[in-house]
Amino acid sequence: MSGPALDPATRPALVEILISMADDEFVIGFSDSEWTGIAPLLEEDVAMSSLAQDEIGHAKAFYELLAGVLDDGRDADAIAYDREPAEYRHCRLLDHPRGDWADTIARRFLYDTADAVRLEAVAACSWSALADLVAKIRREERYHLMHVGAWLDRLANGGGEARRRLEAALERLAPDAATVFAPLQGEAALVEAGLLSAPMDAHEARWRASIGPTLERLRLPMPPAAIDPERGRLDHSAAFDWLHGEFTMVRRLDPVATW
Amino acid sequence: MTTSDNGERMIDEGSPVVAGVLEPWEVFRREKDGDPMRHGGSVMAPDPVLALHYAREMFGRRQESTGLWVIRRADIHELEDPDLLDPPLDRSFKKPGGYVMRDKLAAARERSGQAKLKARDAAKVRRPATGDPA
Repeated sequence: MSGPALDPATRPALVEILISMADDEFVIGFSDSEWTGIAPLLEEDVAMSSLAQDEIGHAKAFYELLAGVLDDGRDADAIAYDREPAEYRHCRLLDHPRGDWADTIARRFLYDTADAVRLEAVAACSWSALADLVAKIRREERYHLMHVGAWLDRLANGGGEARRRLEAALERLAPDAATVFAPLQGEAALVEAGLLSAPMDAHEARWRASIGPTLERLRLPMPPAAIDPERGRLDHSAAFDWLHGEFTMVRRLDPVATW
Repeated sequence: MTTSDNGERMIDEGSPVVAGVLEPWEVFRREKDGDPMRHGGSVMAPDPVLALHYAREMFGRRQESTGLWVIRRADIHELEDPDLLDPPLDRSFKKPGGYVMRDKLAAARERSGQAKLKARDAAKVRRPATGDPA
C-alpha cells in the first residue's frame, strides 16, 4: 500500500468512500441476482444475472482495496459478509426490496447514472490502485448504462401497464435516489488529497444535469432532494435485513471454511 | 419454461408482458479478426437493440467473438423449392474436381468385360465425388 492510502489524515475518509462504493455495488448486485431464473424472458434472465455478477465483482475489487487500507486482518470476504446489517454503508436507494421489473429498472437507472458520475469523480484520483480499478469498472458500467437505458425507454414508451408500473416505481425510489451522493465524513480531506474531484453535492448537481434530457424526453419527473441526506447511508430497512440474511446464509454456516 | 398458447413466456410478479413482439433473431459472430461471419445461434428479442444486448451476453461475453451481427429471422428469405438445388442432369464437369469418373468407369468395365479394377488402380483414377472447394 502506498500513496495517500497511508496518509493518516485521509485514511478514515478513504475507508468511508471505499466502503460506500463497495457496499452499493454489493447490495445492488445481490438485489438484481434475485431475478436469476424468473426474469421476463430467458435472454434477459442471462443479461440481468450477468450484470448482477459484474456488480458483485466490482464490490469484491473495492473490498480488496479496502482490506489493504484497513489492514486489520480481515479479507474481502470477511468485510463483505461478517458485518451486522447496521454496519453496511450502502445508500438508502438500495434499501428498497427488489419489487417488480419496473422497480428493478427504475433503481438500476437511478443508481447506474449516479454511479457513473461518482466513478468519474474518482477516475483521475491520485491513488493509482483506485484509479486503475475505476478505469476498468467504467468500461463495464458503460454497457450497464446502455442496457438499462434500453429498458427505461421501453417501459416509459410502452404505455399502459408498463408506463404505470415505471411511474409507480420512480415514485417509490426517486426520493432516495440522491442518497448515492450523501455527504461522506471527511470528504473535504478526500478532495484535498486528490482522491475525489469535488464534494458530493457538486456531483449530485452533475448527475441531475446528466439525467435531465432523458427524463424530459420520456416525460418523467426529476427526483427530489434527499430527505435527511446525512443519514442517507445509515438506518437500513427491514428489506435489507432480509437481504442480509439471504446473502450471509451460507457464510454463516461456517465462516472459517475453506472453499 | 412455461409458455402460453401463443408462445409468450408466462411472467410472474408483475414483470412487463412484451405482448406478441418477441421474435427470433439469428446471431452471426466473427471468431477472430479476418474470419468471415459465421452463424452462431439465435436469441429471442423484441427489437434489434435488445437482440444485440442478448447476442453479446450469449456469444460475446467471454472474448469468444470479435464481431457480432443480428438479423431478424423474419427478414431472411429462403429458397422454397429444394428441388431447384438438385439438378437432374450431370453437370459435374463444372466442378473444380472435374467429371465424376465412377459411373463411366463402371460402364467401360462392363463393355470390355474386364474384371473389377484392383483397389490400388481404382484409387488412381478416382476423382472426388463432390468438388466442394471448401
